[in-house]
Amino acid sequence: MTTPRLHAALLALVVSLISTIAMATGPSYQVKVDGLACPFCAYGIEKQLNKIAGVEVLETDIEGGRVIVTMDDGQTLDESQVEQAVDRAGFTMKGFEPLDTADSQ
Amino acid sequence: MSVVKRKTRWASRLGGILAAITPSVVLAAPQTFNTALPIAEDSFVLREQLLYRHATSAQRDLDVTGAITVLGYGLTSDIALFGAIPYLDKTLDGGRRERSGQGFGDVRLFARYTAFKDNAPGRTFRIAPFFGVETPTGDDDERDRFGRLPQPLQSGSGSWDPFGGVILTYQTLAYQLDAQVAYQANTEANGFEFGDKVRLDGAFQYRLWPRELGGGLPAFLYGALEANLIHHGKNEVNGIKDDHSGGTQLFLSPGLQYVTSRWVIEGTVQLPVAQDLNGTALEDDVVTRIGFRINF
Repeated sequence: MTTPRLHAALLALVVSLISTIAMATGPSYQVKVDGLACPFCAYGIEKQLNKIAGVEVLETDIEGGRVIVTMDDGQTLDESQVEQAVDRAGFTMKGFEPLDTADSQ
Repeated sequence: MSVVKRKTRWASRLGGILAAITPSVVLAAPQTFNTALPIAEDSFVLREQLLYRHATSAQRDLDVTGAITVLGYGLTSDIALFGAIPYLDKTLDGGRRERSGQGFGDVRLFARYTAFKDNAPGRTFRIAPFFGVETPTGDDDERDRFGRLPQPLQSGSGSWDPFGGVILTYQTLAYQLDAQVAYQANTEANGFEFGDKVRLDGAFQYRLWPRELGGGLPAFLYGALEANLIHHGKNEVNGIKDDHSGGTQLFLSPGLQYVTSRWVIEGTVQLPVAQDLNGTALEDDVVTRIGFRINF
């Protein structure tokens, strides 16, 4: 195989892997949290949410008082588990909403 | 009065000053006292604070340097347990001779309970009483070439000293208010008893940066102003009150804090703006604190 063809094959492989990884994430959820008002306190919420099996990615928006939770492929998030996790961090869950794929991208 | 008693009385005049160093600071926002903000269940906060203090009176200079280590643990979201231990190096220059002591001081153990909380979007209000005891773990029999160090220069008090109080915290995304009232009942050891301590503290923090929150979880830079009104009762030496110890001090402390989700770095300078101390008790000139905190 010539060098340009090898490079093209490797590039295709990398793109394929990235696409596979990107598609491997599961559903996303928006969790609204009351009481969150500083970055240092946000860590406690993220730590508790990370303990839930299947949680892949957490994105906290402190101004909006919300955490976007993205699950592993094939996993779903139970609202009562989230409520418990937020409570264990010392805060109050005020909303729980599944996001469709377009919202979660 | 015997020579021994005179020496002990003279030493007791340091007492209020050194007792004021006792680490009442704990995990969160204010740097000179505690907060009611929560520690998440089964989580830790470690705080390390470096300290420098200078106090003077006629022909005497006191320098204190050291570090105060505080570990907080969230037993539940409402109950937090704390342990604090200071390492201090104290040097008293009396003109004709200099004496110093250094070592780990008394461990403070206490619990804080969130009795009330009101969480709302972007803000929280909490009331949290706390109660604990200062344990006699520090060395209270340090000696130098002149003999046993006076009690206030010892690393440990030798006594079990209970304390308690209540903290109020109101935090928003833009600013934070904290207030505390606390009391420590000191007990006797080695013929010496520090005067009881009562304090009233307040703190205001304002987010200086970022001015606008644009989503995500940015770090915050806070400017802070804290106030501490501290009253020490008179020390007792062999059951007799020392009229040259104790009194009331008011400190104002401007400071800065850089806060991320995992760590905080911070610094403040405590300036005595009013001191009404008994007799020839040492007066504070300045107290400087810098430190960091880590979530884990």
